[in-house]
Amino acid sequence: MNHALLAVLPVPVRLLLATVVLLLVCLCALTSGSVSISISALLGIVPLDEMQSTVLWQLRFPRLLLALLAGAGLALCGALLQNASRNPLADPYLFGIVSGAALGATIATIVLPQWQLLTPLFAFCGALLAVFLVLILGASSRWQRLESLLLCGVAVSFMLSAITTTLLYISEPFAANRVMFWLMGSLSQASLTQVTLIFPLVVLTLLLALLYRRQLDALVLTDESARSLGVHVQPLRLVILLLCAAVSAAIVAFCGGIAFVGLMIPHLVRSLFGLSSVALLLGSVWLGAIFLAGVDTLSRSLLPTQELPIGVVTSAIGSLFFLSMLFKYRRG
Amino acid sequence: MGQTPVVEFLQVQLHIDQQQILTGLNFAIQTGQFVGLLGPNGAGKTSLLRLLQKEYQPSSGQIKLQNHPLQSFGQSELAAKVALVSQISGPLFDLTVADVVLMGLIPHKALWHTNTKQDMQQLRQSLELVGLAHKEAYSFAHLSGGEQQRVLLARAVMQSPLLLLLDEPTNHLDLYYQHQVLRIAKALKITVLASIHDLNLASRYCDRVLLLNQGQLVADGTPQQVMTEDLLTRVFRIPCLIDLNPFGACPRVSFGYKDDL
Repeated sequence: MNHALLAVLPVPVRLLLATVVLLLVCLCALTSGSVSISISALLGIVPLDEMQSTVLWQLRFPRLLLALLAGAGLALCGALLQNASRNPLADPYLFGIVSGAALGATIATIVLPQWQLLTPLFAFCGALLAVFLVLILGASSRWQRLESLLLCGVAVSFMLSAITTTLLYISEPFAANRVMFWLMGSLSQASLTQVTLIFPLVVLTLLLALLYRRQLDALVLTDESARSLGVHVQPLRLVILLLCAAVSAAIVAFCGGIAFVGLMIPHLVRSLFGLSSVALLLGSVWLGAIFLAGVDTLSRSLLPTQELPIGVVTSAIGSLFFLSMLFKYRRG
Repeated sequence: MGQTPVVEFLQVQLHIDQQQILTGLNFAIQTGQFVGLLGPNGAGKTSLLRLLQKEYQPSSGQIKLQNHPLQSFGQSELAAKVALVSQISGPLFDLTVADVVLMGLIPHKALWHTNTKQDMQQLRQSLELVGLAHKEAYSFAHLSGGEQQRVLLARAVMQSPLLLLLDEPTNHLDLYYQHQVLRIAKALKITVLASIHDLNLASRYCDRVLLLNQGQLVADGTPQQVMTEDLLTRVFRIPCLIDLNPFGACPRVSFGYKDDL
């Protein structure tokens, strides 16, 4: 997309354009795959056979919804955390969420191999444990110093990763394979139950963020400046952190480690949609959904016989994106 | 009966980590006064401004805002009455000038309120006051330091405060913007308490100056009354000469050592 052309369009028009792209991506996601479904069949003009109906409603539809929600949720959390911490490298996984989830999934895989269904629950608890540890350690500075909170996140992340690695080292190789596969991220186990669990968390976070849009804008300057405008800086930051932790933990529990979405999409949104909180929040939700639904479609279409882990594709695109940003800045 | 002061300090002391920062402060600021807060580094100027924002609590004594204890004001209530303009070094994430000025509405708006036509009109008026009406859609981070300070002044106007605090508003600005910022602040006709390093700027724009030294208020009066050679030499620990500023009937201060020349 041409940035100069987009810049002259008002934000609502840009969102409308993004909606059109979103619909196209959805159409592509529902029709492409090993079982071919035509657009006319999708729109009900031509009847679906039994196989197509099963694939569409039991596999592709829940998977698409989960991709849209996970993309929107991760990008929204990334945007919120970057603005609230004034750190362009902040993302939902910064507070040890993935390491915690990986530990939870490892424990479930090793201790309860016959209860595979419990893996997301253990992963969710592990992610929350990580955030809980970060908050407890950060409490010594009353969560006032952002840098110390971020350092706590890094420390907790390494500590939990060390425990996970030790557990995997002493366990049977099959368990290690399963955890590694889970960590690469996948939407293949998507179900409507997962969608109904994540949906309210994402919507609640978006609504609260939109209500506090002016306060979020104020946080972008300095804490002192925000306080002088009547913003309760520390409580607001803590609520944002907890909401983002809950959303990311739920997404990681069901989809595994999907990296770079929360880090990359907000940067893209700032250049395409604008700089104020409303444009950033809505743009992140739209672009995050488009991106992950598109990448998921790509990851299951690139290879003829098997699908690529979605986390691998997002990481590859993310690294290219940041390299292109680096070259853009160098050119000035 | 006299007018109720906007701010009153009654025997205010401030200790931080058992270190005495401010001692026995007693003064009142009347409506419409432009008061300069002067003193060397570590005199307590910024701490005094932070007391007024409730970032610090007095160890003893009382601060009153419009005759009510400052402690009785909640953070939003206080923000509706006291605005702050301080130095902001280039924000990481950019915002437009309009976004920054509209932040001034935060203390006056419920969360679900949207911006009305009157708000947008007030935005334009505030920007006109600081001479930046044409830069409403510009990026804040890409403005010069002087323009950024003027945008923050427009934000303070939008906040409609009783008292405007300026924390070293002219630091890092060139001569032109130093005068611009203070001229605009003076023209706003609201009560101002400004911590200023440059004594000649303070002398030119302040109706009254408070001179702090080692946490104590050592002089309070008009620039003519406070800016005396003896006092400034003692407080700033450098020889000082005072004559009349040819641009107005205010003291002009020169510091230096004779053997420098």
